[in-house]
Amino acid sequence: MSATENAKAVLRRLTAASATERILISFAALVMAVLVGAVIILVSGRITTCQTAATTLFGTGFCYDPVEVYLVLFNGALGEPFLVNRPGILKPLNPDWNPLSFGLALTLKETTLLIFTGLSVAVSFRAGLFNIGTQGQLVLGGLATALFSFFVAPLLPSGLVGGLILIPLAVIVGALVGGLYGAIPGALKAYADANEVITTIMLNFIAAQIAFVLVSEFYGNPDSQVVETTPLPDWATLLPVAFPQGGDFSILALAFGLALVVAVWFLLEQTSFGYDLRTSGEQPEAAEYGGVDAKRTTVTSMFLSGALGGMGGAIWVLMVMGKWQAGVPALGFDGITVSILAGNNPFGVVPAALLFGTLKSGSLAVQFGTGVPKQLVGVLRGLIILFVAMPEFFRMLGSAIDLEPDRETVATDGGSLGGDDE
Amino acid sequence: MSTAVHLDEITKRFPGVVANDDVDLTVERGTVHALLGENGAGKTTLMNILYGLYEPTEGTVHVDGEPRDFDSPADAIDAGIGMIHQHFMLVDPMTVAENIVLGNEPRKWFGTTVDRERARQEVIDLSNRYGFDVNPDDAIEDVSVGVQQRVEILKALYRGADILILDEPTAVLTPQEVEELFRVFEELTAQGKTIIFISHKLGEAMHAADDITVLRDGKNVGTVKADETSNEELAELMVGREVLLEPKAEPQEPGDEVLAVQHLSAEDNRGIPAVSDVSFDIREGEVFGIAGVDGNGQSQLVEAITGLRTPTGGAISYKGRDITGASRRSRIADGMAYIPEDRHERGLVMDFDLVQNGILGSQHSPTFAADGRINWSDARDHAERIIDEYDVRPPHADADAESFSGGNQQKFIVGREFEREPDLVVATHPTRGVDIGAMEFIHERLLDLRAEGKAVLLVSSKLDEVQGLSDRLGVMHDGELMDIVDPRNTTEEEIGLLMAGERPDADATDAEPPVGDAK
Repeated sequence: MSATENAKAVLRRLTAASATERILISFAALVMAVLVGAVIILVSGRITTCQTAATTLFGTGFCYDPVEVYLVLFNGALGEPFLVNRPGILKPLNPDWNPLSFGLALTLKETTLLIFTGLSVAVSFRAGLFNIGTQGQLVLGGLATALFSFFVAPLLPSGLVGGLILIPLAVIVGALVGGLYGAIPGALKAYADANEVITTIMLNFIAAQIAFVLVSEFYGNPDSQVVETTPLPDWATLLPVAFPQGGDFSILALAFGLALVVAVWFLLEQTSFGYDLRTSGEQPEAAEYGGVDAKRTTVTSMFLSGALGGMGGAIWVLMVMGKWQAGVPALGFDGITVSILAGNNPFGVVPAALLFGTLKSGSLAVQFGTGVPKQLVGVLRGLIILFVAMPEFFRMLGSAIDLEPDRETVATDGGSLGGDDE
Repeated sequence: MSTAVHLDEITKRFPGVVANDDVDLTVERGTVHALLGENGAGKTTLMNILYGLYEPTEGTVHVDGEPRDFDSPADAIDAGIGMIHQHFMLVDPMTVAENIVLGNEPRKWFGTTVDRERARQEVIDLSNRYGFDVNPDDAIEDVSVGVQQRVEILKALYRGADILILDEPTAVLTPQEVEELFRVFEELTAQGKTIIFISHKLGEAMHAADDITVLRDGKNVGTVKADETSNEELAELMVGREVLLEPKAEPQEPGDEVLAVQHLSAEDNRGIPAVSDVSFDIREGEVFGIAGVDGNGQSQLVEAITGLRTPTGGAISYKGRDITGASRRSRIADGMAYIPEDRHERGLVMDFDLVQNGILGSQHSPTFAADGRINWSDARDHAERIIDEYDVRPPHADADAESFSGGNQQKFIVGREFEREPDLVVATHPTRGVDIGAMEFIHERLLDLRAEGKAVLLVSSKLDEVQGLSDRLGVMHDGELMDIVDPRNTTEEEIGLLMAGERPDADATDAEPPVGDAK
């Protein structure tokens, strides 16, 4: 068998994997990533010089202890429920542990934001559209939310009542703006046959620059040196009520995100529109045959995807920043990986986002709690994401290049899939 | 008479599938042997084993009485075996002679240069010896499919083949070209060559072969002499039960006009005119057939009618209303059922299960989706009903479309479209790839729809099918509707001439040579 055939066979195998198999593959990949990461930790610990070895293996001292690093990583992400004690042994429980700690809030904050962007990407991928523009949709959606809240807040009574009115409206405005910004590449694709990968990538830059100009020239906070909008009053934002130690996490936002997960699932699996969308994504010719209006579905799917990205921006503004500030984190790009990790399944987005959140918040703990430099922590994070996402990525690749599953190619006369030929 | 090929207890297993199960096959030298069977019966797999493309899991191949173990087609070619695949492997811009010698070119100047003159002469000698009518200097892209096939045969002969395997050689030919091919068979066997051809058409095997071996489900179910058997016996061997071969439509008076196509023109995907100025109508209780070699504009015509292709000219009216610009969805909603030509691309979503595929086209209809929400339990009942009534096997509504065999996919599509309660059924190759039993059933159902007063547009490259089922028959060639004939009073030869582009009134001297444009 040639290398190409081998590669194709692997792709076919991955494409045909069942849901259970895929979850098992993900876990195996996670374990592999941890093992490979451990080797890297040891190697870099050998290269570095330090006063006392963190661990000793086969009579050789190493500056970093991989077991400790990983324990601190996951322990930190949960707000340190365990006391990590050298050499890498957990004490049963940390008597000071508070489930509502900063570490856990940080994990859940990232998770919440990534649920929105992950859903955004998942919707477009399911429709067969590679929306790489969630970042831009998030940037503009967030800005719209911030400006809307800033201008409308003075008209409303401050306090709980004002918040109840303003926050939902602000999220809707963010969704609308993000959706419209997503609909642009959708319309370009549908009516001018412009490749959405290219247009959405370009529109990311445009969004960032538009937002920058608007804030720095017109709507910025005059009292600030930074390019940012005037901070919103507390009552107009989502406060970390349940997490008194801070961490910019609001349980309401997470609940909203989870509700959206169910809503997106319902839309995709239970409605006629979802059927059109999925059919277009799976097999455009069959969708056309089934009476799906390809152009309209393209624009609508991109609007929907953009709206979810825009809501992500709204939540970032309302929950994390309390204002819009230039240099928006790459939540939209992480959403692509989250969606691929989730197999573009809305329910899969939740654990995928949680893994991301855990890694992000855990890395901080590693940075502060061990001597390991943050660059190395970044490598470990990257490894885990790479390992876990790759099988799913190749699965998508396998379906995208339309490989015929093994048995059909051999079982029929003529060798064509489900063979016919007069 | 000696034995040219003997396959001894060949078994070929693929993961999860037994393609050939303990098959014995003996082919005598200097005869034509037909390998007959349904799609998926294992015919091509068996021949690929003989040609060295697959290795048998068990069993041995004997050529000229010697056991052989082929690692690759190169070994098979050395042993004097040549195979002509369904899809020709020719280089279009190169000439006939160049294609024939390709890979084995005679050389001059110590092997540095191809000796074109000698190549050309060798090809002329070769075609004279077997009485082939080919011009060595024509470019492949300029000659008809029939000639291309002869070039493929010459290529095999040039490499010294004594045993020729042809995989479904008649699939792309007009009836005249088929006759020509069978004449070539006679010439070749007269000179001692042995021919094995794969077919799933009874008539051809009866007509052209000396011996016929029938495969069913990977097993050899019998080898018979062509002049000692009958169509009925062969059909029974192929299917495993008695079948009714000839569809016969009872005469019936058609009702009101359902579909009218006026001066319709359309282009193919490359923007080349594919349908030009086609006009016809179909009435209630009528089957209108369209015959023609594949690739003569039938696909584009059907797509224009069903709303998948925007016509470049002309008009289509359906049930008295102009629908030339109407959307595909509105046509479906208006009772237009369509069995598409390409079931893998269009007819089914391969990664969807049959429950989801069962509502393809009905996903917005009130039957399955009131208020925009799909009622999946109704959809499941619907899919299970189709599976049951149309005998889709295995009967698993939850299995992906991809996992079904071609014939069963087709049965499911036919069932879905027939159960739409349509006013017009557009059926393209409705029995392609299904077994004879299912074919009989689909034909009966088509005639039932006709009896219920539905209009049917039937496009098929199987002449006996369109001829037997149609009330009126249009013949297409190169995008034009050559003529509309009464299929009951027209011979196969007359229709064949129309398919090749010759109008009966054309003067014999200036008539164009039959050139099939099939791709």
